[in-house]
Amino acid sequence: MEMFVVTLSAALAVGLSAIATGWAQSRIGSAGAATIAEKPEMTSTIIIMLAIPETMVILGFVVAVLIILRGG
Amino acid sequence: MILEMSRLRILGPRDAYDGVVRALQDAGVLHLASPPSGPQLEPLRLSPTQERERRCLRRVLEDVEVVFDDLHCPGRIAKLPPGSPPHALDRSSFMNWARKARRLRQEIAYLRQRAAGLEEERALILKYRYFLSAFGPLLTEATRAAHLAAYHIVLRPDEAKAVERLRSGLEAVIGDAFDLRSRRLATGETAVLLLVAAAGAERVERLLAEARVQEIPVPVSFGGGSLAEAVPRMRARLEAIPEELAAGQRRLDALAAEHGGGLRAVRSALHDRLGELEALPLLGVTRRAFVIEGWAPAARVAGLRESLAREFGRLVVIRELGDTGEEAPVALSNPVALRPFELVIRLLPLPRYHTVDPTPFVALFFPLFFGLMLGDVAYGVMLAGVSAFLCLRSRPGTVLRSAAVIATVCAGWTIVFGLLFGELLGDLGRRRLGLRALAFDREEAMLTFLGLAIAIGFGHVLLGLALGVRSAWRDQRRLALGRGVAAVMVVLVGVAVLAGAGPLPAWLLRPAIGGLVAALPLLLALEGVIAAVELLSTLGNILSYARLMALGTASVMLALVANQMAGAMGSLILGGLVALLFHLLNFVLGVFSPTIHALRLHYVEFFGKFYSAGGVPYRPLARWGPEAGARI
Repeated sequence: MEMFVVTLSAALAVGLSAIATGWAQSRIGSAGAATIAEKPEMTSTIIIMLAIPETMVILGFVVAVLIILRGG
Repeated sequence: MILEMSRLRILGPRDAYDGVVRALQDAGVLHLASPPSGPQLEPLRLSPTQERERRCLRRVLEDVEVVFDDLHCPGRIAKLPPGSPPHALDRSSFMNWARKARRLRQEIAYLRQRAAGLEEERALILKYRYFLSAFGPLLTEATRAAHLAAYHIVLRPDEAKAVERLRSGLEAVIGDAFDLRSRRLATGETAVLLLVAAAGAERVERLLAEARVQEIPVPVSFGGGSLAEAVPRMRARLEAIPEELAAGQRRLDALAAEHGGGLRAVRSALHDRLGELEALPLLGVTRRAFVIEGWAPAARVAGLRESLAREFGRLVVIRELGDTGEEAPVALSNPVALRPFELVIRLLPLPRYHTVDPTPFVALFFPLFFGLMLGDVAYGVMLAGVSAFLCLRSRPGTVLRSAAVIATVCAGWTIVFGLLFGELLGDLGRRRLGLRALAFDREEAMLTFLGLAIAIGFGHVLLGLALGVRSAWRDQRRLALGRGVAAVMVVLVGVAVLAGAGPLPAWLLRPAIGGLVAALPLLLALEGVIAAVELLSTLGNILSYARLMALGTASVMLALVANQMAGAMGSLILGGLVALLFHLLNFVLGVFSPTIHALRLHYVEFFGKFYSAGGVPYRPLARWGPEAGARI
C-alpha cells in the first residue's frame, strides 16, 4: 500500500506539472508562432520564452525523484 | 568588457569643415553626437544643392543596391581587395552609373519576371502531363472519333469516392452509352476521362454542372480546343522551356561579370558620400567656426589627434571633455578567445555604458552548464566533430563560426564531465570498457547531483548580485546597497538551510536567522516592500538551477534506455541499429535542450540580477564597407 502511495505521489508530482507546462507552452507557442511570422528576428527570444515554463515540470521531476528516493 | 570612451569636441574654421569630416571618415573613430548648442552656434543646414545631391544619391543607391542584390551570388562578383582606396565618383561617372543602374534594374526585373512566367508555364504543363501519362492513347482515340465527346476531370484526394457516384449518375441519365476511366495519380488526386456519344453530351454537361465537377480546360495559350490536340504543342514547349530559362540565367551571369566589380565600387562611393552629407547636420557652426562633438575609444584619441594635426596643423583643435552627463555609446571589446561568446549577448539589447559586459562570465558558465547537463564522453566527441565541421565551413567573424567555437568549448566540457561521471554512451563505457566515475555516478547519486546543481546556482546567482552592486554603484547607490543587502541575506539563508539540514554546525542556525531578521528592515528601507518579493524570487532562481540535474538525469536515462533496447532486440545488427538511432536522437535532444536551458539560466536567473539593457551601439563615422561598424 505504501509503495502504491509513493508511486502515485511521484506520478502526480511530475504528471500535473507536465500538464501545467504543456498548457503554458501551448499558449506561448501559438503567440510565439504568430510573432515569428511577423518578426523572424524574434526567433531566439521566443525559443527562450518557450523554455521558461519548463521550470514547472523540472521542479516536478525533482520532487518526484525526492519522493521516490525518500519514500521508496 | 565595455570599451572606455572619451567625449571629444573638435573646433576649426568654418571653411575647413568639409575636409575635417572627410578626414574623420577616413579615421573611422568618431561616433558623432547631437549638434552642440550655445550662443551664436547653430546646427549646420544642408544647402539646397547638397540637399538635391543627397536625394539623388539615395535614389541611385537604391537602384544600385537592388541590382547588386539581384546579381549577387557567392563568388560571382569579385570582392574589392582589402585596403582598396575609396572609389572616387566624379560627376560624369556618377551620371553614367545612375543611368546604367536604372537600365540594369529594369532589365533584371524583366529577366526575373520572364523566368517566373516560364516556371509557371512548366508547372501548368506538368499538371497536364499526369493526365496525359494516364490516358494518352485513349485521348488520341477520342480526338479521332468525331462522334465522341471527351471530358477530362481531376478529383482531389478526398473526392476519390465521387467516381462511383458519377458513374451511377451517368447511368441514370444516358444509360450505358459512355466510357468512364479513372486512374490514381502520384499526387494522390484521381484523373477521370469520360467519353460519351456526342448526342448525349448536352445532358452529361448538365449533370457535371449540377454535381459541381470541374473539367480541366485546355489553356488558351495552347490554342484551346481538345486536350488531345494541345498535346504536341505542350510537349514542344516542355522541351523548349529549360533552354529559355538557361538563356535568361546566362544573360544574368553576363551582366554580373560585366558590371559586378564596378557596382561594388560605386556602391561604396555612394555610401561614403551619403555618410558625409548626412553627418553635416550634426555639426554646429558660427559665422567663422565649426564644432563637432562625439565619442571615440579613449585608446584611439591620440591617434585621431595625430592624424588631424598632420592634415590641418594647428587650424583644427581637439579637446577632451569631462563627464557631460550624456551616456556614451557602447562597444564590446573582449580578447579573441572570448569574442565568440558575444553572440549570446547579441541576442539581447546592448548593456548600458558604465555597467558590466557579461561576456567573460558567459564564456565560463555557459559551456560549464552545458557540459554538466550532457556529460558523456561519446556525445562530447560527436559534438566536437560537428563543431570542427562547422568551423571548416564558416568564415571567421560570422555567426556560424562563433556558434562553432562555442560548440567546441561545450564539447570539451561535455567530455570532462563524461569522465567525471564515468559515462560513454550511457553505461556502455562502464560495462564494456571498464570506465569508472571519477566524481559520482549520475544514475545512482541523484541527491548528490541535485545538491551540486543547487550549489552552482547559489554561487552563480550570488555572483550576479555582486555584479549588480558593481553596475549600480556609480549612478544608483541606493539600489546598489539594496542588492548588497539582498546578497548577504541570500548567503544567510544558505547558511541557515545548511545548518538546519546538517552539513554545517547546528549552532550557526541562530546567528543566521538573527542576521536575516536584522537585515530585512534594512532591505525594506532601501528598496521598499518589493525587495522582499524579489528576495523570494532570488531564492526561487537558485532552485531553478535544479534543471541542471533534471536534464542531466533525463539525458543519462535516455542513453540507458537506448542500451537496454539494443540488448532486448536479440540480434546484434538490429540491436546495434536501434541503439545507434536512439543515441543519435538522444544526442540531438541532448544538444538542443541544454543549450536552451543554459541560455535561460543566464538570461533569466543570472542577467536578471545585474544586466541593464539599453546601450547605444557605437557607430563611428567611417568609410563604408559591408562590415562597417561591426567591430573596431
